[in-house]
Amino acid sequence: MRRGALIAAGVVVLIVAALTYPGALATSMIVGLTPAPTPSSPAPPGALPWLHVAHPNGGLAFIADDRGRIVLFHGAVPADLLDFGTSNNWSAPAYPIDSAAYAGGQCPAIVAHSHYPPLCQSDIEQMAALGFNSLRLPLSWSLLEPTRGQFSQTYLDRVAQVVDWAKALGIYVIIDMHQNAYSHFVQAAPGSGVDLSANSGAPAWATITDGLPSKELLANQREANPAVVEAFNNFWYNRDGIQAEYIKSIAFLARRFKDESAVAGYSIFNEPQPGWNLPPGFEDLLLFPFYRRVIDAIAGVRDGLPCPTGIYMPSFCGYADLGIHDLRHMFFLEPGLLRQITDFPTHLGLPVSSDPNLVFDIHAYTHGFTIEKLINPSSDPKTATYPWGGYDQTYSLAEREARAIGAALFVSEFGNDPSYDSLLLTNELQEEERHLVGFAFWTWKENGGTNSWGVFDSAGTDAGPLASSGCIRPARERQLARVYPRASADPKLNYHYDSDTGAFGLQARGSSGDAPTLVYIPREVSGAVTVLGAFSDRVVTPNSDGSRLVTVTPSGGVFSIAVAAAPLSLSGCQ
Amino acid sequence: MIPPTREGSATRALALGLLALPFGVFAPFAIWAGIASLRRIHASDGGVSGTASAMTGIAGGLIGLAVVIAGTAYWLLAS
Repeated sequence: MRRGALIAAGVVVLIVAALTYPGALATSMIVGLTPAPTPSSPAPPGALPWLHVAHPNGGLAFIADDRGRIVLFHGAVPADLLDFGTSNNWSAPAYPIDSAAYAGGQCPAIVAHSHYPPLCQSDIEQMAALGFNSLRLPLSWSLLEPTRGQFSQTYLDRVAQVVDWAKALGIYVIIDMHQNAYSHFVQAAPGSGVDLSANSGAPAWATITDGLPSKELLANQREANPAVVEAFNNFWYNRDGIQAEYIKSIAFLARRFKDESAVAGYSIFNEPQPGWNLPPGFEDLLLFPFYRRVIDAIAGVRDGLPCPTGIYMPSFCGYADLGIHDLRHMFFLEPGLLRQITDFPTHLGLPVSSDPNLVFDIHAYTHGFTIEKLINPSSDPKTATYPWGGYDQTYSLAEREARAIGAALFVSEFGNDPSYDSLLLTNELQEEERHLVGFAFWTWKENGGTNSWGVFDSAGTDAGPLASSGCIRPARERQLARVYPRASADPKLNYHYDSDTGAFGLQARGSSGDAPTLVYIPREVSGAVTVLGAFSDRVVTPNSDGSRLVTVTPSGGVFSIAVAAAPLSLSGCQ
Repeated sequence: MIPPTREGSATRALALGLLALPFGVFAPFAIWAGIASLRRIHASDGGVSGTASAMTGIAGGLIGLAVVIAGTAYWLLAS
């Protein structure tokens, strides 16, 4: 009897251990020891150089080009391909998803009820004019797979159209499987006061709320909604196989863009809300194993164990190789929402995948969406006492998280109320320079309204819509049209751009034979260029839009590149 | 013959041991409760039962503690 009880108890311990941290830790350690896979065939020729994540000995991984140079992304996030709801539960995309509506420079009229204008070819041209070399393109699962198992070729063609526009201008695209408060299909009862116009994400068939009420428990906090929390929870536990379907929808994208070098990679899940789960278990047992499964499916690396895909998949479960074998695109892995609002790690940073092309991406909304602001919306960023480590906290800790996971670091969203540009935007950009991390600014354009965060001006009115969201905000043009190194063989270079004076300075170390360092100077900056130190060649190439590209080839040793201070030539709202 | 009574903290150790697997913070308590329970069971000379539960609690606690140590060590070394 005692022996039987001991055996039974031991089995229970083993099962619980396998399903929880011991299983997750063992799986991650095995993944961490698995050699990185390499592509079996040469990279297909691409219009843009293929990017990957480089792993220097003892250093932080970084996004690199085909010559091994660190590449810094500067870009924005246009929210225009998303499928939002409305305050009346209206549910159809605000803009056509048929690429024909945008062909030949066409641009549909702005829809009054949408927060955003349509994304047109002229937008990509405006991004390029600001010197952006990348854009994060949010998509909605609800438009990609509106009916279970049936993927929208029309929507895919629309995504490909944006990729083609970007590629033609040398801009990389990060395809982002976006969501806001899970879905706008979290039905809200009439009169409940729930505004679904900022909800996007899952299709109706994948929104399982189990009858929980759809209402905001905290004012203006769309995530604090029982139906939203339950829907997230069901996703993480793969209720009815919906997580497996999500993986298939990413595979649908990956098949299309497998040979497209202008697609930098895939952002797997935006702002993952934990459902009813607590950190660190949420990330370590549910979120990052989910990321591992996506990578298993797309890259074919098989890091997890085979498991049934129609039910809850514990952390040790991988996913079937879906035959795509895409080992060239990067995977952008976002930590849980709680980390994003605390600027503090909420997970152990366990190895996720043997695929080397991982990017840990954070949202840097210090004093915008961090916890002290959520608790007290009227708190003043100038006097806020949290985060204790100031603006640097999220970056310094994210470096440690990225290092633990074996990933490069990227800021996939940051942004702020324009009235705080001189404080928040300035500090965030300084941190991004200091930590050598690229960024995507939220958001590109919004339709009017005094709460607009877009790069372009709403003209201070809520009357919207406005043609093209108005003119570019001068402060945004001043700060975002920056001088910056687009590529350098020295991943430890340091640089600083002063957007008040237009002055720029960079110091780097190079060896003879290293690929050149490229510094982009936007049209707005007119100062003279000086190169000093160990270089064998320097070329300043003027572009047709008035911008310049400085190319400096190192000869061995330290060199510097400087742009002299000069009045900026801003084109924005006057 | 009087059936042995159940040692109360053995069940507590079992519960804490299972909790220690997902939540390592419970591990020391599971180990402590399990050891204390085993001592009382042995001292009772057969009058108190619950050995399997106590040992399971200790095992769960030890695994949970090992995970906490390994996870923390990994974070400190790798980050």
